[in-house]
Amino acid sequence: MSAVWPVARAAVRRRRVQTVVIGVVVLLSTTMIVVALGLLAASSAPFDRAYAKQSGSQLTASYDRSKVTDAQLTEAARSAAAVGGPFPQATLELAQPQMMGSLVTVGRADPGGSVDRLNVWKGRWADKPGEIVLNRNPTESSGRGTPQLNGTVTANGQTLTIVGFAYSVSQSADAWVTPEQLNALHPTSTQMLYRFTHAATNAELTAGQKAVTAGLPSNALIGTQSYLALRAMAAGEPNTFVPFLMVFGWLGLAVAVLIVANVVSGAVVAGFKHIGVLKALGFTPTQVMTVYLGMVSIPAVVGCAGGVALGNILATSLLTRAFENYGAGGTGVPAWVDVVTLFGVPALVALSALVPALRARSLSAAQAISAGSAPRAGRGLRVQRWLSGTRLPRSVSLGLGLPFARPGRTALTLAAVVLGVTSVTLAVGLGKSLTTYQTAASRAGAVDLTIFAGPNGSGPEGPNAPPGAKLTDAEDEAVLRSAPGVTSVAAMADLEMRLAGTQTDLRVSFYRGDFDQIGYRILAGRWFDGPGQVVVSERFLKQSGVAVGDTITLQSKGKSVRAQIVGKAMYNSGEEVLSNWATLALIAPDLRANIYDINVKPGTDLDAVVKAVQAKDSGLQEADGQDAGTFVAVVLATVVLLTLMLGTVAALGVFNTVILNTRERRRDLGMLKSIGMTPAQVTLMVVTSMIALGALGGLLGIPVGIIAHRLVVPAMANGAQIELPDFMLDVYPAGLLALLVLAGILISAAGAYFPARTAARTTIAEVLHNE
Amino acid sequence: MTDDNGQAVVQLTAVRKEYGESAALDGVSLEIHAGEAVAVMGPSGSGKSTLLSMVAGLDRPTSGSVVVHGDDLGKLDEKGLALFRRRRIGMIFQFFNLLDDLSALDNVALAAQLTGTSAAHARKRALELFDELGIAGRRNTYPSQLSGGERQRVAVARALMNRPAILLADEPTGALDTRAGEQVMDLLLDLNQIGQTLLLVTHDQQLATRCASRVIDFVDGQIAGERSLERTA
Repeated sequence: MSAVWPVARAAVRRRRVQTVVIGVVVLLSTTMIVVALGLLAASSAPFDRAYAKQSGSQLTASYDRSKVTDAQLTEAARSAAAVGGPFPQATLELAQPQMMGSLVTVGRADPGGSVDRLNVWKGRWADKPGEIVLNRNPTESSGRGTPQLNGTVTANGQTLTIVGFAYSVSQSADAWVTPEQLNALHPTSTQMLYRFTHAATNAELTAGQKAVTAGLPSNALIGTQSYLALRAMAAGEPNTFVPFLMVFGWLGLAVAVLIVANVVSGAVVAGFKHIGVLKALGFTPTQVMTVYLGMVSIPAVVGCAGGVALGNILATSLLTRAFENYGAGGTGVPAWVDVVTLFGVPALVALSALVPALRARSLSAAQAISAGSAPRAGRGLRVQRWLSGTRLPRSVSLGLGLPFARPGRTALTLAAVVLGVTSVTLAVGLGKSLTTYQTAASRAGAVDLTIFAGPNGSGPEGPNAPPGAKLTDAEDEAVLRSAPGVTSVAAMADLEMRLAGTQTDLRVSFYRGDFDQIGYRILAGRWFDGPGQVVVSERFLKQSGVAVGDTITLQSKGKSVRAQIVGKAMYNSGEEVLSNWATLALIAPDLRANIYDINVKPGTDLDAVVKAVQAKDSGLQEADGQDAGTFVAVVLATVVLLTLMLGTVAALGVFNTVILNTRERRRDLGMLKSIGMTPAQVTLMVVTSMIALGALGGLLGIPVGIIAHRLVVPAMANGAQIELPDFMLDVYPAGLLALLVLAGILISAAGAYFPARTAARTTIAEVLHNE
Repeated sequence: MTDDNGQAVVQLTAVRKEYGESAALDGVSLEIHAGEAVAVMGPSGSGKSTLLSMVAGLDRPTSGSVVVHGDDLGKLDEKGLALFRRRRIGMIFQFFNLLDDLSALDNVALAAQLTGTSAAHARKRALELFDELGIAGRRNTYPSQLSGGERQRVAVARALMNRPAILLADEPTGALDTRAGEQVMDLLLDLNQIGQTLLLVTHDQQLATRCASRVIDFVDGQIAGERSLERTA
């Protein structure tokens, strides 16, 4: 085979442009594939690794100490595979200004055990009263203002010294003290940590929970936290990327295969004489085939290696960002992804080259030497004849006829354009669905005016704090309602609360007035209409493992309130709960509204409204409205980037075809120029030959793109733990579809223009005299 | 011989054409007048085809000037040269250079269609030429189905389509058998006899003797000699 290598290398050198096209296309598609597979494979791996290492709690439960004893809990937990607890638990209200809020604190004698083995990564475990260990991720920044080792925490009238930092991947507590110390802090609940034999699904976990709570007094269970919810939260961001990255990656690879098949077919056709000469020199048929396979394998291997490297960098960056809070170092693309891609992509490319290479193998030397490189006469003749009789300019009609001369090549190019248009269609739909969702979920533009009445206790304080309202809550609401043009006013107070049984901090927004006018869309259930009711998001339901109709317990400032989830509304946050004034009255009856969301009649001067309101209460300030979130912006930017990449890849497919066509037709082009075709007419003819394909590719690619959109968007929504109403999938109005046909034309024109210009500049004399 | 205004149809003045370090044409000056049939002869690499390319506006001289039918080709841009070729020049090649995808008729009509002539008018004019050249029966045939002589006749028809000021022929019989070659020679002679100016590049002494009234000998890119001929036909 020693003769094969120099010939293959020479073939690569001779086809520099096509070699670069193959290399770039394989590089781009491999990058997408590696990122997609990497995210898919690793999306929950860091979390699972950390969970396995710590023997994390699969179900963390809080029980009411007044209703159930430790002995009862221990007895009931027999069905579990492993148990931690019972541990006394209390929510400590902190007094320091730098550590606002509360700490769910558990009394544990040691950090080990069979469940939730804590990683004490700094200092030591608390072994006597007066000491506390805080839960903190080792990767979390510990800048100015964060608690330090040997610092103190003052809570419930007692000062505790921080002797260590530990990390619980189960998020079982904010802090730990000795059981004796916890008893001195007056525990209100008991924590149990469970691991089950079967806990892979929510159903298995529910069955486990049922078994360990069987026989316990009713209402003894205050709340639970499922490890599946934590896992889903961990994998949420990468799982949102995976569906569309996978689709784009496969689309890119498909285009790469088409281009490679086209390049090698073209090389075989153009190289008939070359093949004949090789055979005449004594090359065996297999050696000839190897030359042609080697010709594409060289750029494919180089492109693939570059794509794997680039894909690893991008995927690691995305995964590190997604998992930085889970204390799992070394997050990256699994080695098998690299290995499979490094071998699989070049193999796929070589496979696509195999058919034309086999053709080169089977040609007899005499047949090959005598064959011309121009298309066989007789193809598409009827079309050409018909076109020559039309009123179209001759350069246009000639261009329209060109694709019929090489139907195989035309089909491959058309397929590349179809995939390009599919990508654009998918990307446009994805972008529209995401922005529609984001606009609806963030309620951007749903409220005409937001008035801030000052901090309500949890906001900033001090000399730079915004001024507060001068009138009472009721008086301010009356002022706003009487302002000119105002049609609705929703008053809101928010409160930091804790979901009982979890370490999840929630912001609960309590509304009164016209809260159904401020842009929230109810997806399931209904709005609240009485005390002890809340409305939550899809993400909250998924992360907490609850459903509409369930009851949750919310805690704040030592008080608890049980609330039924009566509805599911469309918004992004899993840490925000909506409720009403009647529920607020059960927890903080003296709290006033700090935000008023106002809508006005069309044409109302908002400045005039603000002026009128401030004339009566100078403490009321206009606040900024809702804006779109950054995550959707990141996804949209990624989609745009991938679309440009795939559009470029598809255009490169066209570029390659035009290069093949114009090289084969150099003699024809020279002749046309010799009889007076201008360079502009040559360019027009060549570009036209591809534009027709582009238009057809547009028509075929749009439905494929719409189908891909219908599959990808729900999968992304599922990954992101959000729910998209059906109307958000109907994002292709007729006008947009017409524009999308232009995408195919644009891809084709962009790919064809430069080689067409080059063809138009062909030196005629040289071409026509060399036969 | 001069054209109607007494001007030369082709006028080359001190034309030099270099390809890299070698000169294909080296200070060539030449005039061809209306109705003349000039044959350029010489060994391979002597610069005869380069001369033809200069006159056809297919290539530009490195120095010197080429004026054809009043157009100074050195002053024309690419589009201007294309329009010049369309209106003033008809070209015949050794290997015909017909488009394989088009029928014989459409190959010929194409030249007129490029000037904006409608398809119907172009085909009508092409049919007239097919009649004149004796290939009317082959009008709907594709180039691959024609004999060499027929292909060259089609090529001649295409060259005549726009009534060129000068017909340029590059080894027009080089790829033909003896009989077909003679037919083409007769055709060129006939055309010249009805006033068509002709510039032939050929190795074929018989073709030159039969069709040309003047022979220019080229050696190493320079005119080595010039002689007038009595036609044998």
